Amino acid sequence: MATYKSIAYDQALSAGGSQVLLSETTASGDSTISITSGIDSTYKEYIFRFINLHPSANDSTISWQANASGESGYNETITSTSFRATHYESGSGGELAYLTASDQAEGTAVQTLSDSIGSDNDQSICGELTLYDPSSTTFVKHWAARISVTTHSDAMNDRHTAGYINTTGAITEIQFTPSSGTIDAGTIKLYGVL
Amino acid sequence: MPRYHNINGVRVQFTAEEETARDAEEKAWADGQLDRDLFELRNKRNRLLTETDWWGASDNTMTADQTKYRKDLRDLTNGLDTVDKVKNVTWPTKPS
Repeated sequence: MATYKSIAYDQALSAGGSQVLLSETTASGDSTISITSGIDSTYKEYIFRFINLHPSANDSTISWQANASGESGYNETITSTSFRATHYESGSGGELAYLTASDQAEGTAVQTLSDSIGSDNDQSICGELTLYDPSSTTFVKHWAARISVTTHSDAMNDRHTAGYINTTGAITEIQFTPSSGTIDAGTIKLYGVL
Repeated sequence: MPRYHNINGVRVQFTAEEETARDAEEKAWADGQLDRDLFELRNKRNRLLTETDWWGASDNTMTADQTKYRKDLRDLTNGLDTVDKVKNVTWPTKPS
């Protein structure tokens, strides 16, 4: 019979490493959510996991930016791409779209995680953003996000966004913002990956 | 109503300067509504055109209704210069 320990060990292996919960932030009518501790050289990979983030404004986006150690402001230089698959509750859709409004070419704007989020009581986004080796002084900082969205037009968006922060400085702080209104509810969990 | 940062779970009220900057960001976002709505409309329009591309194959002759349907789709964005016009656009009916 498998023991709990052996099962946990197997799961860690299949995931490529075990995840350590570093922090848990609960949204409550916030215009920004910043995570400014726990991101350092301890881990080579950090995962921000979003659980039912719910915006106050309909048809809004949730975006993020980073701040490098020793600098001020969430305005790092990002190059990124973004695309999504959409399928409506009505059965229509089933289309892929490259999102020019969400890519950046050495831009310092906030980076969209998800757009078109609905604000009905049962609508939200879930997913995760992975930041790789944020303390490297050699490489740019790669990241990748995948978000599941219930949109304001009652569709499912599977949103893929990836890119890099074009700095060799250490990234130590991340901030999440809605395009308008607030993030009324939901949780952001930060994990370090061993 | 004041805005708040959530910094590692601690709520911190915006400064007056931050409120002004955020007001400007939210206005810019609202001003972009028409462009965002047109992007979504074009995505759907392009998908509908793609679904009927085969009508134009060299071994097929399009009917007048099919030709009109595709032209109406291509012309759909003409005159759509307000959010209300985009939301209330009339989609052409696909011929059977």
